[in-house]
Parts: sequence; structure tokens; C-alpha cells
Amino acid sequence: MKNNTANFSFKSYLDLAQLLTKYRGTHEENRAFALSQKEKGLKLLSLWKDKNLHRVLDELDSFKYLHYLTLFTSLFGFTLLLLGFFTGVALLSYSGSQPVNVIYLLLVMVGFPLFSMLLSLLSLFTGNIGAKIFSHFSPLYYLEKVINFFPFAKQIDFSALPFSSTLSKWIFLKRLQLFSFLFALGLFLALVLTVVSKDIAFAWSSTLAIDPVAFQHVLSFLASPWQNFFPSAVPSLELIEVSHYFRLGDKLDANMVQNADKLGAWWKFLAMATLTYALLLRLVFWFMMKLGFNQQLKKEVLRLEGVKRLLKEFSTPFVSTASHKPEQHLEIKNESTFLATDMFSDKYASLLAWNYAEKTLRLLQDTNKITATKSYVVGGKNSFAQDKAIVDGLEGKVLIYVKAWEPPTMDFMDFLAEVLAKDSVNAVEVCPLGTANENYSSNASDMKMWLQKLETIHSDKLEVIDV
Amino acid sequence: MSNYPKFAVVGHPNKGKSSIVASLSLDSSIQIGNTPGTTQVKRGFPLKVDGEIIYELFDTPGFQRARRVFGWLQEHGDVPADKRADVVSEFVFKHKENEQFRDEVELLEPILNGAGIIYVVDASKPYGAEYEIEMEILRWCGQPSMAILNLIGEEDYREDWTRALGQYFRMVRTYNPMTARHNEHIELLESMAQLKEEWTKPIKKAIIVLDELYDKKVDESIDTLVNYMVEVLSLVHKQKIKKEEVSPEEKEEAKLDYRKKILQLEKKERQSIEKIWNHSEIEKNEATLALERVGLFSKESASIFGLTQKELIVSSVATGATAGATIDLLAVGHTMLLGALVGGVVGGVGAMFGFDNLYEVKVLGKSLGRRELTIGPMQNLNFPYVLLGRSLYHASMVAKRSHAVRGNLDLEESTFTQELMEGENRKGLEKLHLKLRKADELEEEVLEAYKKLIKKIFLKLL
Repeated sequence: MKNNTANFSFKSYLDLAQLLTKYRGTHEENRAFALSQKEKGLKLLSLWKDKNLHRVLDELDSFKYLHYLTLFTSLFGFTLLLLGFFTGVALLSYSGSQPVNVIYLLLVMVGFPLFSMLLSLLSLFTGNIGAKIFSHFSPLYYLEKVINFFPFAKQIDFSALPFSSTLSKWIFLKRLQLFSFLFALGLFLALVLTVVSKDIAFAWSSTLAIDPVAFQHVLSFLASPWQNFFPSAVPSLELIEVSHYFRLGDKLDANMVQNADKLGAWWKFLAMATLTYALLLRLVFWFMMKLGFNQQLKKEVLRLEGVKRLLKEFSTPFVSTASHKPEQHLEIKNESTFLATDMFSDKYASLLAWNYAEKTLRLLQDTNKITATKSYVVGGKNSFAQDKAIVDGLEGKVLIYVKAWEPPTMDFMDFLAEVLAKDSVNAVEVCPLGTANENYSSNASDMKMWLQKLETIHSDKLEVIDV
Repeated sequence: MSNYPKFAVVGHPNKGKSSIVASLSLDSSIQIGNTPGTTQVKRGFPLKVDGEIIYELFDTPGFQRARRVFGWLQEHGDVPADKRADVVSEFVFKHKENEQFRDEVELLEPILNGAGIIYVVDASKPYGAEYEIEMEILRWCGQPSMAILNLIGEEDYREDWTRALGQYFRMVRTYNPMTARHNEHIELLESMAQLKEEWTKPIKKAIIVLDELYDKKVDESIDTLVNYMVEVLSLVHKQKIKKEEVSPEEKEEAKLDYRKKILQLEKKERQSIEKIWNHSEIEKNEATLALERVGLFSKESASIFGLTQKELIVSSVATGATAGATIDLLAVGHTMLLGALVGGVVGGVGAMFGFDNLYEVKVLGKSLGRRELTIGPMQNLNFPYVLLGRSLYHASMVAKRSHAVRGNLDLEESTFTQELMEGENRKGLEKLHLKLRKADELEEEVLEAYKKLIKKIFLKLL
């Protein structure tokens, strides 16, 4: 099965977020792009981002933010490396009168790393509030507060950055692992350099009355990861016993002095403990945080406003129903200057009924009590020859009934023009009638339609009757 | 020649051809008027899926000189029935440049190029024999055809029309473009699919596409609506203040800005909904969201889509929100409660529910020397219902509006709470509204549950 989930880098994520605030494309464009590519899902989204990133004309936020992050990481990484180194040198400083306490070293080289890893784990399982509390245990938290006062940090509007507090947590935890690793590396280097350049006597001392056997059990447990392949790096009971140091007294006890050559053997254990717990385990944690960060980043990408829509547009066919031909608008006049009268004349020479049936014509004549010498049905299924013969015989005043609800077609307008053109016809009255159910009264909008059309004829002989 | 189905919508002038095309092509920009000759040239409206045309509808001018055309055909058409379409083609060819027959040429051309005929009549007006000439001309074209009875007016002469049209057309269907909904659109397409065997498959495909498009629009509307609800319910307005304490002017200014932001968000949401349903150009008659009235126990609450006192108390008690509201009130709204009680503006129960707690102004950052006031998120329990009611009503009206309808969309106030207050909806909404106020901590599952519920209500309104 094809994997369609791209590993979005943090930069890609920031760039996509910035791009989406300025450009999202149309469904048509996005679908066309998707069809032109083989990839799908987040990989396709990544390609879409690359294609459209040029639209973000301003400086990319990712540049500023990553510059800040890199600068911050480098600065503190280097500082912590040095700090680790000097801490190691300080812890391993041996004047010749007092041995170096292994317990101090174990606390710093194993105890603190394990404790900070535990905090990282707890913050993972306690949500954002937990992370916020645990972050206060880290000096990084305070260092970052300080660095935010520097001018380069002020160029970034952190509140405008798109990611959630959960992603911030992952960024913080990932960096915490890196910085802790560098600090431990400093310690490790200090240990190696000091061991090479100095002859150090290691001992162990505690106010608590720790039994050497019990102490050996603890140390063996700590050394269990390497005891099979590097047994000399596991402190023996003999070493533990000879290096037990009591702070009372002004000089080393005789037993320690006798076994001075053996006291240096602790370094192997310390080196392996640092390597295993402070460095290798830290790398494992860093890798875990990286994975967690990438998973969260993927979630955040999907949560970015506009991403879901884009992904949907990529996979949904673009449907269009619009015409590509521009509409030729008819200029519609709202008012007509042509006015209708509401009275029929006393007598007409001819009564014509346009598109009516013979039977309806007779009914109309009776209803409206129209006196007309001749009456004809015109239009409708009549042939042109029939209508022409009727027009040829017209004279005097002519009344034409039309169906008000039917618009005046050019067929009627041609016919009316012929009637008006006849010299023997001295007046033409057009009367738009409503339906029988409306008692043949036309409604206002139909009448307006007829007046607007008949106005275009510009004939003094023409009148309109509105009953 | 392209082999996708084409349909020419033809008929007498002013019988609603353009309305039918606007409704079927979901295009509200088509000019529709009661002046004959509004449509001057034919226009194709292809249904395209990723650029591939599935079918094409043609809006055409009406018959203007049908008798003359038929006269010409009869004069030249002493031919067997299978050659009659050639005579019509000859007419179109010979009169292409003749202004007198411009409309007839425009309407006959797509038919002669293979388009099926959709003949439109107004069945709210009596049948007239003059239509028979138009029908005869169309019959001469020899293309598959159907008639649509459009009811423009209030009377109904469908029976007469059906008897007459049945003699000329294979199918007669009623379709009112002004009121037609999606399912009627689909039913008409199913009829069109039966006109010709080769057209069945593409039209069935078109039906699937249009169904999916409809579902997509519903989903997009829900997403838009839910995002808007989350945005407004969790809205926090921040403003810097000059002195130690907030001045009354600053308070008023902040309240005004907060209201403005809410109104802007509502406007943006409405525009998005209208765009989704291809109704970007509609004008609306509507009352502005009056936040001042949201909190009052009165009939007005219901009339602006919020719940009435009784409905809100019932829904709050039903979901245990009373406790939440009381805690909210004790934590942040105690002065408002006192004011409400002392002033006696609303009843005691109303104050307990935080009805008056519209604007809670907090001053932050005193110790750091950066003083600012914040307003929001809105605590009022009725507020989400007002927002949701207005938005659902608007969205449903837009979704139901046919693309053939011109004129303003009437969104004047009316009661709209029944669907929101139905059993499970009521409980679900109350719970979810409380969670929506915290946008930062909003879980995907909560959002999905809210979307599901809103979709259920929305679909019921369509």
C-alpha cells in the first residue's frame, strides 16, 4: 500500500501555516493540481505548499523563528557543554588530600539525568498543565525567559505562531533532551580528560550508614547493562570496602592508602554509567521525543485552518454548472410612459381576438357588451393568408383582444404593425384580458408588460384599454 | 460531435425557461424577468466534473414568430417524416443571419445539434391552441422530448395541458423552479435520463455527482457553522487601559469592540454559507443580532432564536448545567448577580443562570505594569442558542432557496426553537456549549459530536 503521509518538517509546517493565511486556492485549482500529481494526502499537501510558497512575498516566519531556535539551541547547547565539562572538572578536582566522592558523581552523572528523564515522562502523561509545572524544574525555562529580552527574540511575535501548547511542549522536551545530552557529554569528556591527565583517588562517603554489601547491590544493578561484556567496569565488593571513606580524621585511613592503586578503578564504572544513563539513554529519550514531536506535528498540520478543506478539495471532484458564455443582458425598463384608458369606445368597426377561439370571442363580446360590425379570430392556428385577408378588410376603429398573460410576441407585433399601417384603419385599441377565472381582468404586472412592449410602436393610432 | 447528453429548454416567451435552467444549473446569476425576450441568445450550462462534461443544458429565447417558421416549413416540407429535421436544418441555415428569426434560430440550433427538447409551459394559465404550432415545429426536429408544467401563478390548468402535451411529448412532468428542492431536481433528471437510452448512464452519473455535491455543501455548511460557534463562544477581546482601573469610557469602548467582533464573525459566516450554496449575490431582510436583548427573559429572547426562560431552565436542569452556571457566576460574575438582584432587572432565577452576565470585564497584568482588560468568553447561557438559532435559520433558508428565485431573502425574526429543544438535541447542545467556550482545550471528539448534532438539526430543517 502506498504511504501517503509525508513527514512534515517543522519549517514546512510553519511555511504552510503562513501560506494558508494568505492563499488557499479555489476548489477548481486545487483539484486540478491534485489530478496532475501522483501523490495523495499529506505528501500532496506538501507539494501544493512548495508550488504556492512563492505567494508569500514577505519574509517567511519560519526563517525568523528557526533562526531564533537555532541560535538559541546553539548558544545554550554550547554553554551547557561547557557547563557540563566544568562541572565534571570541579567534581573531579582532587587535591591529593581528599578523594573524589563517587556518590556526588553518581548523583550528577546518573541521578540527575534519570530524574530529568522521569520528569519528561511525567510531563508526557500529565498533559499540558503537567508539562508547564515540570518545565519550571528546568533551568532552560528560566534561560529562555531571559533570552526573550534579547533584541532578536523581540522580532518574533510568538503569539502569532500557529502551533498549540502541546506542540510547544514537544519542542521544549526535545530540546531538553538535547541540552541534557550535551551537558552529560561535557561531564563525560571531563571525566575522560581528568582520568587521563590526573591520578585520582575515588572513594565513597555518606552520612547514612550504608552497608558496603547493599551499596554493591545497588551499583551492580546500575551496572547490569554492561556487566556481561565489560565486567571490569562493575565495582567489586572489595573495591567498595577499600574505598569507603569517613570524613572524620585529618588523613586517609591506612586501608585506603594501602590500596591506593585500586581506588582509581572506579573511573571505568563512572564512565560506563555516564555513557549508559546520561548519554545513551538520553539519546533514546531524544529519539522518543523526536517521534512524539513528529506525530504531534502531523496532527497540528491537519489542524491548521484550511488544511482539511484543502485535503477535501484534493480528493473531491470539482463540479461546475456555470455557463462560460457571458449573458447578453436585456435592458429592462421599469416604467412605461404609455398609459392605458379604462373605457371601451361606443362602437367598433371590427373586433379581433388574437389567439382566442371563436367560442371565446362570442363570450367576450357578450360579457363586455361590445358593439362591433365585424368580428374575427386572428393569430392562433390561422394561416398568414387568412390573417392577411382579414387585415385587408379592416377599416375605421378596431378593437383587438389579447391574452394579458401571454407576452406580446413578434408574431403579434408584426400583425399589429400591418393593421396600423392600413390607411383605412383610423384607430386601434388593444385590450389585454385576464383569464375567465379572473373575470377577464388583467393584473398590473401583465398590463405593464403589454404597455412597455406596445410603447415601442410609437403610433398615434394605438391605444391600450385596461379593464 | 460531442456525445454527452444535451437538453434545450424551449418554449413560449416568459414561461420560466430561464428559471428552470437557473434552478437545474444551480446558478442564481441568470437574468430572469417578466419582460418577454429577456433571454436573447442561447447559453449552455454544462455540468462538468473535473472538466469533463456530463450533460449540458441550454437556455434559449422563446418562440417569437412560430407561425412564420411553421409556414416556411410547410412550404418546403413536402417530405417524409424522417426528412423533416433536414427541412428544419435548412430553415436554420438559410435564416442564420436573418434578424427576424434570430430567436427561432437560437432555440432550434442546439436541438438540431442533438439536444433533447424540454418544452416549458405555464400550467397556471389556460391552454391555448397557438402553442400547437410551436409543438409541431419541435416535433419536426425529431429529437427526444419532454414537457415541463411550470406553475407560475396560483391557478392550476395542468389537466388540460397534460392532455394536449401528451399528444406531442413522451413525458410530461410538473416542476416548479421557484420552490424545487434537491430531491425534485433529481427526480426531474431521472425523467430526463429516460428520454434516450444512451443518455441514461451519463444522467445517472450526474445524479450521483449532484447528490455528492449536495452532501458536500451540507457538510461544508456544518463545518462553517460549527467553526463560527466555537469562534464566537470562545471569543476574548483584549484591550489596553491607560490607568490602574478601567474607566467607564474604556469599558464601553471594549464592549462595543467585542460586539463588533461578534457581528463581523456572523457576517463572515453568512457570506461563507451563501458562497457554499451559490447564493453570493442575494440581498437579505434581517434584523441585526441584538446582544443587549439576549439576556432578558421575555418573548424577545425567543423571537431572536434564543430559548425562552422556561426552555433554558429545562435544558440546563436536564443536563446538570445549573451547577456549572452557578460556579461561573460565583467565580466571575458575582457583581453582575448583585447588580441584577438589586436592580431587579431580571428575576432571581434568571440571575442564577447568569442571564445578565453578558460582559464580564477583567483587568489583567497589574503587577507587570501592562494593564489590559479582557471581555469574554460570553457566559450567558442563552447566547449560544441565539447564535445557533440565527445561523441555522439563515443556513437552512439559503440552502432551500432555489436559484431561480430573485428578490430579497426574508430572514426577519421568527420563532425558531422547536428543533433545538427536542429531547436529545437539548441535552447534547447544553453540554457541548459549555465545552465550546474553551476553544484551546477543545477535543476533536467534542467538535465531532457537536457537528453531528448540528447536522441532524440542520437536515431536519431542509
